[in-house]
Amino acid sequence: MPHDTMSFQLASEASELERLYLIIEDFGKANDVPAEAIFQINLTLEEIVSNSIKYGYQGEAGHTIDLSISLNSGTVTIIIEDDGLPFNLLDLPEPDIHCPVEDRPIGGLGVHLARTLMDVLEYDRREGKNVLCLKKRITIEN
Amino acid sequence: MSLQVTESSQSGAMVLHLKGRLDSNTSGDFEAKMLGIIHGGQTRLVLDLGQLDYISSAGLRVLIKSMKELKAKSGLMYLCAMQDYIKEVFDLSGFTSFLPIHPSLEESLKAL
Repeated sequence: MPHDTMSFQLASEASELERLYLIIEDFGKANDVPAEAIFQINLTLEEIVSNSIKYGYQGEAGHTIDLSISLNSGTVTIIIEDDGLPFNLLDLPEPDIHCPVEDRPIGGLGVHLARTLMDVLEYDRREGKNVLCLKKRITIEN
Repeated sequence: MSLQVTESSQSGAMVLHLKGRLDSNTSGDFEAKMLGIIHGGQTRLVLDLGQLDYISSAGLRVLIKSMKELKAKSGLMYLCAMQDYIKEVFDLSGFTSFLPIHPSLEESLKAL
């Protein structure tokens, strides 16, 4: 089975999201992860990292976010850690996605999509850090 | 890693062709463009997403906001030609009840 682990850091700035997309895309291509799964993982990571910057670090630059990504037995696992203020994005309320557009809130969809598209999404507050773990099962392309 | 938007006028509607990524870095400019178009009086819009590679919740937010504005003016907006993995995001978000999706631009224009 292919097995690869990679760790990297991001600065607490929105402009880092672009670098994050490229890292995930490169990892996905190197490990034959289907494009659809790479898209779904990137969408979820954008949500997690932008919330970490916005709430964990209150929009302050100069902090770092630690990430690791691995692929083992057909599951991509990503761990995201920051030492910002305690913030569990899974506590955010689920939006009502069935009400008419007039009554729809404008935000709140990101977490809903992340929960739906990932197989596992877990939060833990550990040693002064917010730790999010996501898992996505994939079928390796030949 | 950007979003290019080109406009065309077809069958009395404004068609916006999106190419690239609609994410937290590009959604601000796109929102300003959409609201400018709607406030300028355009009430029939088609978004051609055939060359859209990526959308995140920041992009969906712009579409809900635009649709609310359009609805207040009895306007309509259709989406078309998107890739399957992007369509899934719209389905999961419950958008399809107020934002119809067509397989091709031709079908969106016909439905106007």
